[in-house]
Amino acid sequence: MRKRETNWPVMVFLILGLSTIVFPLYMTIVIAFKQPSEMSNTISGILSLPKTWSFDNFREAMKVTDFWRSLGNSLLITIVTVVLSVLIHSLMGYALGRNKKHSKFYNFVYLFIVSGMFVPFAILMMPLAKQTAEMGLANWFGVILLYVVFYMPMNVLLYSGYLVNIPFALEEAAKVDGASTWRTYWKIIFPIMKPMHATVAVLTALAVWNDVMTPLVIMAGSSQNTLPLAQLNFQSQFGTNYNLAFASYLLSLIPILIFYLVCQRQILNGVVNGAVK
Amino acid sequence: MKNERKRTFLLITIPILALFICFNTIPLIRGVYYSFTNFKGFGKYDMVGFRNYLDLFTDARVLKSYWFTFKLAVVSTIIVNVISMLMALALNSKIRAKSFFRGAYFLPNILGALVVGYIFNYFFTYIIPALADMVGIEALGSSILSNPDTAWIGIVIVCAWQAIAMNTIIYISGLQTVPEDVYEAGGIDGATGFKKFWHLTFPLIFPFFTINMVLCIKNFLMVFDQIMALTKGGPAQSTESISYLIYNNGMSGGQFGFQSANAVVFFIVIVIISTAQMKISGKKEEQL
Amino acid sequence: MKGKAMKRIVIAGCGLLLPCLFTGCGDGSSKGVTEIEIVQYKPEAAGYFKMVEESFNETHDDIHLTIHSPNDASTILRTRFIREDYPDIIGIGGDINYSYYVDAEILADVSDYAGLKEIKQAYLDIDEALKLVPTEGAYAVPYAANAAGVLYNKEMFDEHGWEIPNDWGEFMSLCESIEAEGILPFYFGFKDTWTTLAPWNALAVDLAPADAAKKVNRGETTFSAEYRETSEKYLKLLEYGPNDAFAYGYNDACMAFARGESAMYPIGSYAVPQILSSNPDLKIDSFVMPGNDSKEGNTLNSGIDLQFCVMADCPNKEEAYEVLDFLLKDENLQQYINTQTSIPCKEGDFELSSVLEGMTEYIDSGNMTDYQDHYYPSEMAVDAQIQTFLLHRDVDAFLEKFDTDWLRYNRDIIRMVHEYENEHGRTAE
Repeated sequence: MRKRETNWPVMVFLILGLSTIVFPLYMTIVIAFKQPSEMSNTISGILSLPKTWSFDNFREAMKVTDFWRSLGNSLLITIVTVVLSVLIHSLMGYALGRNKKHSKFYNFVYLFIVSGMFVPFAILMMPLAKQTAEMGLANWFGVILLYVVFYMPMNVLLYSGYLVNIPFALEEAAKVDGASTWRTYWKIIFPIMKPMHATVAVLTALAVWNDVMTPLVIMAGSSQNTLPLAQLNFQSQFGTNYNLAFASYLLSLIPILIFYLVCQRQILNGVVNGAVK
Repeated sequence: MKNERKRTFLLITIPILALFICFNTIPLIRGVYYSFTNFKGFGKYDMVGFRNYLDLFTDARVLKSYWFTFKLAVVSTIIVNVISMLMALALNSKIRAKSFFRGAYFLPNILGALVVGYIFNYFFTYIIPALADMVGIEALGSSILSNPDTAWIGIVIVCAWQAIAMNTIIYISGLQTVPEDVYEAGGIDGATGFKKFWHLTFPLIFPFFTINMVLCIKNFLMVFDQIMALTKGGPAQSTESISYLIYNNGMSGGQFGFQSANAVVFFIVIVIISTAQMKISGKKEEQL
Repeated sequence: MKGKAMKRIVIAGCGLLLPCLFTGCGDGSSKGVTEIEIVQYKPEAAGYFKMVEESFNETHDDIHLTIHSPNDASTILRTRFIREDYPDIIGIGGDINYSYYVDAEILADVSDYAGLKEIKQAYLDIDEALKLVPTEGAYAVPYAANAAGVLYNKEMFDEHGWEIPNDWGEFMSLCESIEAEGILPFYFGFKDTWTTLAPWNALAVDLAPADAAKKVNRGETTFSAEYRETSEKYLKLLEYGPNDAFAYGYNDACMAFARGESAMYPIGSYAVPQILSSNPDLKIDSFVMPGNDSKEGNTLNSGIDLQFCVMADCPNKEEAYEVLDFLLKDENLQQYINTQTSIPCKEGDFELSSVLEGMTEYIDSGNMTDYQDHYYPSEMAVDAQIQTFLLHRDVDAFLEKFDTDWLRYNRDIIRMVHEYENEHGRTAE
């Protein structure tokens, strides 16, 4: 319909802004390739290119973190959490979002759950460590279950916020056709929330991917590692190997970046524009 | 018909609510119980009644951490929302290499805390002072992180740098719900630039503004990672956030009971603030 | 269509979850073999403990040893304690956590362990002193100690003919002559608050009574009285440091010292590996902090860096002792010392790292005093208070706050001490 024209002032703004990203990224990459003896406390020293571009740091970092196994564990936890979050939280967001305006009960449940966002994790940690152990959940499953609970407030907030912009008329139409509420949800509402699913997926995946505390506390003592847990190996009070650490962080950045790039297309291609008429 | 709808909603809500109560509310209640003890985190303990709560209000360190945290949260929230709104509009406009930009601007969010901490420490300690020397700005001649009066600005910068990515995504997904024809109608009326944004776009994405405000409150009032990465509470205890105190003294130190009380009070304070905030924006939403 | 896809996702999700449910249930140990599990808190020694674990298991059929060296061991230990899922042995430092654990009665009395007889008396005394109130029994086997003083650049000292100072006066004139040559005497990494404790401890052992904290708990003295000289002398050291000592962290300071930007660095021996990582050719030696005005008043600041405690819950004490015997074997301990540049807590002929050469005199004669901060509760954040003090340079305000905060943070301990004294009469220590 419209001509594809480029908004050049915005392009210039974005390109200038990019320097705030490129500079730290450049430092990360350069440091990841250097040897500890090449580290320096002068500007020219730290910004200089490494003497040799060898992947030794990456190989070593992969060895130290037992990369493929840790990656596998991290992927498993993240994927299952994201799938469950999208299914469960969207349902809850729908039930609460559609009812909170006219029902005191649902409004209370909504506020009750959203306020869970503000419980400092530190106060839950000890009781949860005990509780999960008593319930036999001091394992992957327990960690995933906890994630589903921890991110519920944020995601319910997101989903019910999104629903405000989705007209009620869409459901009415389906109901007239005799579809049950359950069916209407999966057929009409769930697909229409696709941009929000993508947003929720990205935010949840990111939070889970980088989280150290939950697996540390819940699975304490087991030798199973997630990537962030394994990456703790690089730092201790009396010495940190930044070169290996940076190499490892660069490696663990790739999967989540790919996931984001895939999801952001979904955020973009929202169906709402076409559907709401 | 009506009943079927009601039943379905209940069937959805009850089990999920039960799960939530089991892993959030019940441990919280246990935490509240510890706040009435002098529990260290292990071993035996005694009930101490309201001692922890009374102590809380006379503890200069705790009061200072509240002041610091709220100062940080307010400033960061404003900065982040303004910038990420601009970013979202920019990334949603007609530009080339859209995916590239969206990917690039997302990066700050995924770099690990160790990396972010190292780079920004380096930046503040060595690079900024050297640049300031070259240009001749004396005020920036020494690291802002080493001065108790300015260290919080460093934390704001890093918090904003990391949080903008996430808030931008939420604004972008909000912008997707704005139908094209609204703009077309606006275009006919001759609305352009800021006016168009303020009168057409902003009201439509107001729910997302609310979401972002709540998330900002959550992220900045509960700031922890950035503190650990940049200053560990220093210099001169000027950047100790509430979460930092709760974690550091409660989990690592021997103040589990006392910091549980701190957490309970903190929780109540944030809930009051965010309920007030949601009430206000709820009213605003209805007006729009 | 959509519904089917959804169903598939749900089923796939459940499928993924199921195996998780059953992991962790299958580790039934085979009969006749006793499992011993150690959790030790020094992740930097993980390599050594991996090696010990392997060689132990190769030589023992009846005991299977597992050693965990997690990062953030304190969190892991606390979570396991609250679950009552105790390891058999824990490896911890000789600090206030040990005091708390003894008080909490979660450690086993190991006074019947034969290996204790070979441990240096100085370190057994330190453990005794760490008990909040006198308690019957021994609850730890000291393994290795570290020492803090002043590290110096040997080549630089040789080149300029600088002498190792013996007392505070000599120390100050040394700093003067270093400065006169246009070289920075000290580097500090005070942005990392914990590093402020290193010079603090090293000075305080020379200038304050070793049991200052306990005396205060008994109400016999105040920190304002005991720590004044330490504080004043610390400010003197600061003058010979870099311009903005609070801008640099521990790593910055290690690197600057490694690059020859300062002649000395007042820190513990534990910093040596980090320093060498950025300049492997650097020759480092150390000397005892000459804080006192006379040489006789000086003492080496050394405390227990790693000790093993058998948990009260451990069902196989005999086997646990066998593991301790293995760990304490001369060749194993020697290897630990080599990798960690530490000092053995066991009597015998051990070869110390050349970095500790300047301290050997004190080590051999047993003239050592524990770190003062091993008595400070971590939540009081004395390190941050010292950092504040160094920034504001107000001795009176610092000491006054130290005294008031101490009473606040140690309220329960002080009450316990008083109760004990009322019951047992005043103890002369």
